[in-house]
Amino acid sequence: MYPEDLKYTSEHEWVRPGASVRVGITSYAQDALGDIVFVSLPAVGDTVEAGAAIGELESTKSVSDLYAPVSGEVTARNEALDATPELVNSDPYGEGWLFELTPSDPAQVEGLLDAAGYQAQLDT
Amino acid sequence: MATDTSEPHRSPLHARHTDLGAKLAPFGGWEMPLEYAGVVAEHKAVRSAAGLFDVSHLGKVVVTGPGAAAYVNATLTNDLDRITTGQAQYTLCCDQGTGGIVDDLIVYLLAEDHLLLVPNAANSAEVVRRLREAAPAGVEVRDEHHDHAILAVQGPASDTVLVGAGFPTGHDYMSFTRATLPTDEGDVAVTVCRTGYTGERGYELLAPASAAPALWDALLAAGGEHGLVPCGLGARDTLRTEMGYPLHGQDIGPDVTPVQGRLGWAVGWRKPEFWGREVLTAEKERGPERVLRGIRALGRGIPRPGMAVLDAAGAPVGAVTSGTFSPSLRTGVGLALLASSVAEGDEVSVDVRGRNEAFAVQRPPFVDAAPR
Repeated sequence: MYPEDLKYTSEHEWVRPGASVRVGITSYAQDALGDIVFVSLPAVGDTVEAGAAIGELESTKSVSDLYAPVSGEVTARNEALDATPELVNSDPYGEGWLFELTPSDPAQVEGLLDAAGYQAQLDT
Repeated sequence: MATDTSEPHRSPLHARHTDLGAKLAPFGGWEMPLEYAGVVAEHKAVRSAAGLFDVSHLGKVVVTGPGAAAYVNATLTNDLDRITTGQAQYTLCCDQGTGGIVDDLIVYLLAEDHLLLVPNAANSAEVVRRLREAAPAGVEVRDEHHDHAILAVQGPASDTVLVGAGFPTGHDYMSFTRATLPTDEGDVAVTVCRTGYTGERGYELLAPASAAPALWDALLAAGGEHGLVPCGLGARDTLRTEMGYPLHGQDIGPDVTPVQGRLGWAVGWRKPEFWGREVLTAEKERGPERVLRGIRALGRGIPRPGMAVLDAAGAPVGAVTSGTFSPSLRTGVGLALLASSVAEGDEVSVDVRGRNEAFAVQRPPFVDAAPR
């Protein structure tokens, strides 16, 4: 049920592999958070370390950190989320993407969970 | 305080909620719907049309016997002489020694010898314990927590929904009337009250627990065409926060007095007797050291309970007690217990996870609403 062409983290983020990787949160995460009302994203040009908290997702009830899935440099952020953060709920793998980064070590992307591995983690 | 480690209580509508795909969450020892379609959509439905809430977790305490009304009037804070039979009143149960708020509740005056109290779920047993302990001979305090369901229909379309379901409408704010709901097991009595906690015009309906599914179905069926949607307690929380209504256990509690919580309007100061009268009167005269106030974000900060509030010079002046993103205003709003030196109109900052976000101290409600 999770897209096969994506990689996943244990923090419920997805990564679309490529020269520049796109990052979002999984349908499981958006459902658990509830209505997302505010998204705080890293700035283009920021250098981020894998696992570091680099932004926030705020829902009506709570806030949770956004983590860098791999190390690299941020190359784009989804500006549409400033006005319509609900896209993260309605289309988490499409219009609700969060940011893009150029990985400093492409092997880190390969090392992330695949769809089956992410599903297995949710099932435990 | 005793900790309840047993299984949570369930509403008589539990199966309806799971059938609708509700997300459930614990509320005061009860497992209740947090949301169905989503908090924001449900919130907007209540502000623009109508929402149906199951609030059966609320307590139901019946006080009967000769002098029942006089007894309640001599213990709880508000002045029962301000209302007559057929009316309800917001009141407080305070601690005799500290004046702290044990619970806030609604009292329904059915007769001088018959009252219904609706306390918060988590505090119901404690309110019962205190009232039983002090009750004079002949006054009985019965805990009927599981015997009744309470459904709330809230929003500008509430009257239309109730009319469609065959219920009386249009009675005055905070008054109630009896009605009948035909069910497969025969007619059941339903009490229809012009009350609620959302800031919108609306009703709360009290029915026997066994009739709750029939009542739920009748209201949903009548309301669908008028935009009525089932709403969870998540939306109830954002709605009440937009109005600045306090939530017990968060904004008010045993360590907060009505004077601090700005609930003096629910205290019958001229009454000769109520729990906490001496200590509260003294605090009112000298002025409280801290006050519950509304805060509204000037930027993008969303306040959350426990966050520190700082004055212009960066000195701590209190803490956020409730806070949320307001779906109506699309900005952060909340309540905070602040030093009495802070006044309405002041600008303060809230430490939002290390960032100082600017807020205006503002008297709630934050939105225009017309509960009456």
